[in-house]
Amino acid sequence: MAAAKTRSSSFSGNLSSAASSLGPGLKCGPNGTVLLSSGIPDLDKILGGGFPLGSLVMVMEDAEAPHHMLLLRNFMSQGLVHSQPLLYASPARDPRGFLGTLPSPAASKDDKSRGPEPDQEKGLRIAWQYKKYFGENQLNFDGQRDGKHKYSNEFNLRNPLERHFINGQRVDCFSIQDSPDLSILQDRCTTFLSQLPRNDGSISCAGRIAIQSFCAPQCVYSNMEWEMLSFIRSLKNMVQSSNSVAIITFPPSLLSPSFCKRWQHMADTLLSVKAIQDDDKELAQLLTGYQDMIGFLNVHKVARINTQVPVILEATTFSIKLQKRRYLILECLNQAPVDGSSGTSYGTSGSCSSSSKTGNLDF
Amino acid sequence: MAKSICIALREGALEGELAPALTIKDSIASPFGLQVFDHVLSQLFSSILAGKSPSQGLILVSFSRSPSFYLELLKNKGINVASSDKRIHILDCYNDPLGWKDQIVEISSTVTVFREVKHMDKLFNSIIELGRGLVGGGKIRFSIAIDSVDEMLRRASVSSVARLLSNLRSHEQISSIFWLLHSDLHKARVTAVLEYLSSMVASLEPSHQLANGQRGDLENFALIKHNSKKGKFHVRFKKRNGRVHVMSEEVHMEQSGINFTPLTSEGAINQGLVPKVQFNLQLSEKERIDKANVVLPFEHQGDNGKPLQIYDGRRSLVDSKHERAVAVENVQTKEESESESESDMQRGEIIYYRDSDDEMPDSDEDPDDDLDI
Repeated sequence: MAAAKTRSSSFSGNLSSAASSLGPGLKCGPNGTVLLSSGIPDLDKILGGGFPLGSLVMVMEDAEAPHHMLLLRNFMSQGLVHSQPLLYASPARDPRGFLGTLPSPAASKDDKSRGPEPDQEKGLRIAWQYKKYFGENQLNFDGQRDGKHKYSNEFNLRNPLERHFINGQRVDCFSIQDSPDLSILQDRCTTFLSQLPRNDGSISCAGRIAIQSFCAPQCVYSNMEWEMLSFIRSLKNMVQSSNSVAIITFPPSLLSPSFCKRWQHMADTLLSVKAIQDDDKELAQLLTGYQDMIGFLNVHKVARINTQVPVILEATTFSIKLQKRRYLILECLNQAPVDGSSGTSYGTSGSCSSSSKTGNLDF
Repeated sequence: MAKSICIALREGALEGELAPALTIKDSIASPFGLQVFDHVLSQLFSSILAGKSPSQGLILVSFSRSPSFYLELLKNKGINVASSDKRIHILDCYNDPLGWKDQIVEISSTVTVFREVKHMDKLFNSIIELGRGLVGGGKIRFSIAIDSVDEMLRRASVSSVARLLSNLRSHEQISSIFWLLHSDLHKARVTAVLEYLSSMVASLEPSHQLANGQRGDLENFALIKHNSKKGKFHVRFKKRNGRVHVMSEEVHMEQSGINFTPLTSEGAINQGLVPKVQFNLQLSEKERIDKANVVLPFEHQGDNGKPLQIYDGRRSLVDSKHERAVAVENVQTKEESESESESDMQRGEIIYYRDSDDEMPDSDEDPDDDLDI
């Protein structure tokens, strides 16, 4: 579990007054930003606490796997649990139906224990992948700070979110499939964000915008590339001056390469998900825990707000696993023990990709 | 493994899920798409007739072949369409797609002519209407086969075709859907869109790749002939758990139809033994010869066995005696080397200052061999 190393600068803002007046689900981040949780505690840790308010998150989908939906589900559920207003746009006919698949927070009783197996030997053990064990100490500290609202929840993907979270809220869903152009989406976003202006005072609540599969081919506007780019730029500007986070997922294979690059540059935080091939013997040999993985998550860019200092992560590729088939966890990739007799050396790890299908695995 | 496709289509969609969609993709190098389509069609229809599938009927949208061809095809496979209880209906977009003819002769009761191919929403409505007419309304499902998406893309925009296909997939009465695509007729983006919309992609590839631009070559002729009968069939399944299942088979065209056999591993052996790294570990023939020709800077390895004179700055006692003789020799070797150096620019000068006169010339021994690990 890689944590971002944040360097404390000699200029530190006066944070003490701001901390007390934050609404539920918000916390102070570095450089005077306010963070909200992505709904996946591991992702929050990787990104240095969560998504900063006013940032645009973009997720590059893989056409072969629906993992971006997992990210969206957790993001939206987290917002609803914290009573944060939500705007959801999708190319499906009935976006409200998606709300029925949102996961509910895991009860704190059956908190998953991620430590090593209970039957440890008391004697000396050789920790093959020793970095796995460092994270255990941190887990205890980030526990519940205030009893009422946890900053981020574990979501149980098997249990649907209770109705009352969805019904009593400012939840706005609509379909973008039939809109001839992006003006409707633009208007909806403007109205939504006008409710969440950024003042210097306290932040009582923050909003979330989730746009799924933005350039899906069934949308009428999907071949209007410049219009889509202008929409993203205007959304980014609106979000920057409001207390909200917007997440847009899109399939990059359906865009021309130059536009794909432009969209990637628009993002403050850029993630991508990748599918895993079933029964890939090479990958099974290269990585431990291959059987439990359902996909890869790559972190390409981490938001840099109010600072020039880049966030350099220890690792940028993580495996997506479903623990106990319920909880979404992200793990660093661990190379499997190399078989000494075969004579291959550590030179095959790292940037060398053993098969072109996996692309670049960054340990 | 073509079986697994047919099984997946036969089983159809679970409640609340999008219907499984198959894209059959071929190209000019391996043009068996239509035959694979026919195979899948007849398999699916026989399962529907046998009651093995939750789908109760099949709607075939034919663009590139006449409906009578399909009726013949099914008859040849032993399926009697007339007595098959109205389980199949063909939407004929082949005979008069744009509505130019005044009168259409009706072929049979199982065929309906469709004349507005430019309007995807009307096509959608017709398909749903025909399907409902076949199986009734409510929750009963039916399957759809689209002869060729290329014809649809000829007349309508990519986004409207995509909308049609995704709406069909998400319709509650549709059990499964499959279509054929000739990938070299379109831009790459169109193929990407159709792959995005499908849950299974079956692509046909030639078993031997032809060298580019050398079609007249005799060698390639044999390859082309080979490719016209055989090919490789790759399928990528998008599974429910988010993983991708990849399978390959060989496909043979025969008189009786098309045959799928498991992949022989002839191609696989070549790649199996060499570890896949990003740099090339093999030497080509020319490289091997060049390697043998490289002169290593050992003193005893000169051209033709002559000891290589290495200038060492100090004139040892031995050398000073032979200085003049050597000087002459040197001039000669210099001349030789000058003429050689024009053709072989790689020969550089080796300037080596000996530490002492006792120092032995370099030997071929590898000092690491002494290490005892």
